[in-house]
Amino acid sequence: MHPGPSKAQRGASSRAAIQDSNSADLKRRGSPRFARDLKAAEAIVAILLPPACREEVLGDLHQRYRSPLQYGLEALQTVPLVIISRIRRTADPQLLLLQILALFVSFFGAAWLAGGALLRAPWGPLRLAIPVAVALVGLILEDAYAKPGWRAPRKLTRGPVIGLGLALLWQGMLWALHSDFVLPRWIMLYGCAMGLLLSSAVRILFPPGHQLQGVNIPASWLKQAGDCVEFPKGWLVTLLIVLLVLSIAYQAWK
Amino acid sequence: MRPDSLGQFEQLVLTAILALHDDAYGVTIHSKVQELAQPKAVSLGAVYVTLDRLEDKGLVASWLSDPTPERGGRAKRCYRLEALGERALQESALTAKRIWDVIAQTWGKDWAREWGKRWRKEAG
Repeated sequence: MHPGPSKAQRGASSRAAIQDSNSADLKRRGSPRFARDLKAAEAIVAILLPPACREEVLGDLHQRYRSPLQYGLEALQTVPLVIISRIRRTADPQLLLLQILALFVSFFGAAWLAGGALLRAPWGPLRLAIPVAVALVGLILEDAYAKPGWRAPRKLTRGPVIGLGLALLWQGMLWALHSDFVLPRWIMLYGCAMGLLLSSAVRILFPPGHQLQGVNIPASWLKQAGDCVEFPKGWLVTLLIVLLVLSIAYQAWK
Repeated sequence: MRPDSLGQFEQLVLTAILALHDDAYGVTIHSKVQELAQPKAVSLGAVYVTLDRLEDKGLVASWLSDPTPERGGRAKRCYRLEALGERALQESALTAKRIWDVIAQTWGKDWAREWGKRWRKEAG
């Protein structure tokens, strides 16, 4: 049998190959076209990435850059997962439940003040849940894209503003499509106004990222914080599913 | 505090951080995990998600290093194993060893010797 190259020879040849590819890579990286392509691709990806992880993810993608196509494909695979991971870290199920309650009460209250006709109409309460769901998406995304660390109360109100702005846009789109799920304009506007107040109040009392033991809550609640049992995420999902099934069953029965 | 049990991908990421010592950051961890997970392909995003989860569990700690020109003047997020992470990895290794022992006992010494040869060949 022919003896192959020794371990030392193989090591030397692989080191030489790595040096060759590194020098070619460095030469390519120094070209103006390379820098221009990379800068354009990075500008797009930087907008999509949450600021909390923008620095390291952009740096890693920069280091792995070979061509615009490779960069684009890698960014497509990476950015959604980074956003989802950030949402998982910033979204607190207890606070989300409070926000759902605050927003739903606002739209429910607006519908009740308008005479309650919508509440008695088929699928009425479920129609109220659409702007709540859209506003919640806006709130979750705002938290994920916020800069980490302490936020002033004024900045905390940005979430409800974005969320309810999205809900208004969504309603506008439904209105343009002549959908049956569109809410009357008066209910939508008053619901948004009340939702803005209530949702902002909830966020100022319980700032996101501080769990339910911030300095802004009453002292008596702080005392109980030690006894606080963590609310499992599975329970929240189950509770929401049960509420949804019950409301659909109620509407079908009516 | 007792560490949570680890998933297979979490074990791979922790092993990569352990092997890379002070040079453990996104790109190097991804390369090492890819090497460990062969022949499966691993995406960079999956590594980030797992690193975030491991950090939330208190198994790893991270910090931002100084910016470098090869990264377009951007900093690296470096990772290191915490004591809890080391314990979790040790428990995983022990479990893997127990699994190996049972398989080798059941399928015989010849089978174990054959696999040992394959591993040595793979390691060069």
